[in-house]
Amino acid sequence: MNRTVCTRCVMDTSDEKITFNSVGECSHCQIFDKDSQSMWFPNETGKQKLGKILEQIRKEGEGKEYDCIIGLSGGVDSSYLALKMKDWGLRPLVVHIDVGWNSELAVHNIEQIVKYCGFDLYTDVMDWEEVRDLQVAYLKSGVSNQDVVQDHAIFSSLYHFAVQNGIRYVISGGNMATESVAPHSWHHSAMDSINLRAIHKRFGHKKLQSFKTISFFQYFFYYPFIKKMTTIRPLNYMPYNKKEALEELVRTVGYKEYGRKHGESRFTKFFQNYYLPKKFDYDKRKVHLSSLILSGEITRDCALKELEKPLYDPVELKNDKEYVAKKLKLSVVELDQLIDEPGRSYVEFDNWDRHYALLQKLKNILQKVTNKKIKTYA
Amino acid sequence: MLRVRVIPSLLLRDGGLVKGRQFKHHKYVGDPVNAVKIFNEKEVDELVFLDISATSGGQGPNYELLVDIANEAFMPFGYGGGITSCDEIEKLFKIGIEKVILNTSAYSNPDLIRNASRVFGSQSIVASIDVKTSFLGRSEVYVQNGTRGTKINPLDYARKMQDLGAGEILLCSIDREGTGKGYDLNLLKAVSESVDIPVVAAGGAGKLEDMSKAVSEGGVSAVAAGDMFVFHGKHKAVLITYPSYDELKSLF
Ligand SMILES: [Zn+2]
Repeated sequence: MNRTVCTRCVMDTSDEKITFNSVGECSHCQIFDKDSQSMWFPNETGKQKLGKILEQIRKEGEGKEYDCIIGLSGGVDSSYLALKMKDWGLRPLVVHIDVGWNSELAVHNIEQIVKYCGFDLYTDVMDWEEVRDLQVAYLKSGVSNQDVVQDHAIFSSLYHFAVQNGIRYVISGGNMATESVAPHSWHHSAMDSINLRAIHKRFGHKKLQSFKTISFFQYFFYYPFIKKMTTIRPLNYMPYNKKEALEELVRTVGYKEYGRKHGESRFTKFFQNYYLPKKFDYDKRKVHLSSLILSGEITRDCALKELEKPLYDPVELKNDKEYVAKKLKLSVVELDQLIDEPGRSYVEFDNWDRHYALLQKLKNILQKVTNKKIKTYA
Repeated sequence: MLRVRVIPSLLLRDGGLVKGRQFKHHKYVGDPVNAVKIFNEKEVDELVFLDISATSGGQGPNYELLVDIANEAFMPFGYGGGITSCDEIEKLFKIGIEKVILNTSAYSNPDLIRNASRVFGSQSIVASIDVKTSFLGRSEVYVQNGTRGTKINPLDYARKMQDLGAGEILLCSIDREGTGKGYDLNLLKAVSESVDIPVVAAGGAGKLEDMSKAVSEGGVSAVAAGDMFVFHGKHKAVLITYPSYDELKSLF
């Protein structure tokens, strides 16, 4: 298939919403240029800004057991961030949400980090039979975002623990340096519980008892405005280079490296490297590599070379497919059939879009009336 | 291979992994198949699975789950829970289970343990003994997941199990289980001195020194633990861990 590729990054028309300017630079590049001015400070300015934020967090946390909360997956971003938080003198409650796909490496890395930092760890173990039922429902629905189940659970648990412990600062490893590009046309938000419940109602069998969802109201009003929860992304206030971060982690805590991106979850790996490219022709490496090009970590040539490599080693794919099928209690044939079916859009199931449109309208009215810019949450 | 076996002992309930305290208050801790995968990577030599819903629910062993576990496990593992006949034992061995563990049925049907050890060899038949100690320090064997007292003294009972043909004893202190206070060393010592077959200590391990004490003071030949390998820190966060080979080697 002939695709138009951005002249600056490696995103292309496999993102159906992509647009290009006169010199062939794509909409993602333009968004990056705009956002990075207000959100990304890998310099002295960032250091000062971050210093002020940290001071505020520590001050508000005085006398409390914890001053902030962080979700730790065992991946490089959150692990490195935890290490830095120790240096900054923060006292986080560290939360790990186990959705059933943890690898030994992830478990090992989490152990090493909390031991080294001396942080308290809290885990939330999702009921596997419920998660399995939901995941199979998602596979049957054929929507592109198959990570909804775990992403929703992680967010929901993290915020639940934060509120329970009176914590309002959520420290996130999210960052512009490695994940600034995010094509919305590829994935609907994992926070849409209306969509999640609609998909589960149609294809699921078990009742969702322990799986807690976050409502539209909670997500857009309760947490940000009533509970005044604030997400801080410190990696945006410092130079952040994944390779160097990894080296530091290996050196200081005996961190073990994952073979591929998102090696901490075998499902995510399978979903990104096989399900998405095969079913939707989406190659997530393009997103990741484009982010790295934009932040200056790699060159475009280097990214193009990387994209020539095969997505999956055939033996590894066979093993992973068998494992995923078995874990979901499907046969490999059944799993293949589900993946071979044509993909469907999330809009075929009830979703939050109409609420969201209303929210935007309301926001515009409020902005006009108060003449103030209202911050969008998350 | 280490001189002393250090065995993660995992509880199953309705297909999930659980962990409790003093045989009560069980909490869900994850998917057993994933746990096995993690223990594989950690190079654990042996595992024990005890299904606490198999006896009380009366449904017997969950073969489907055990097949999944056996397919995934690199190491030999023992299974106990709801076993009532030699046919079931045979079926379990066919799945690939190395040792079967009998508790309630060893008490209510001594012929089972006698016949099973004759047919399959005593090395593969383990008698599991759960012990509760009263305020006055009197120890008593309990069955049915620690819910029913038998009025029998653990020493007599252990000897009886040996005579019936059990090749090993898994000895658990109900009072210590899930507390991290250390094994009941007096109980371990008394039982291991009164039988010739290997005794595996269970119930109470909170740190590695508890294990070396179980061997040096309690005289057992192997140690089992649950909490230590499943929980981390003061919030009892679920995190599967296992000491490195070198750590274990320096212990015993
Ligand atoms: Zn671009």
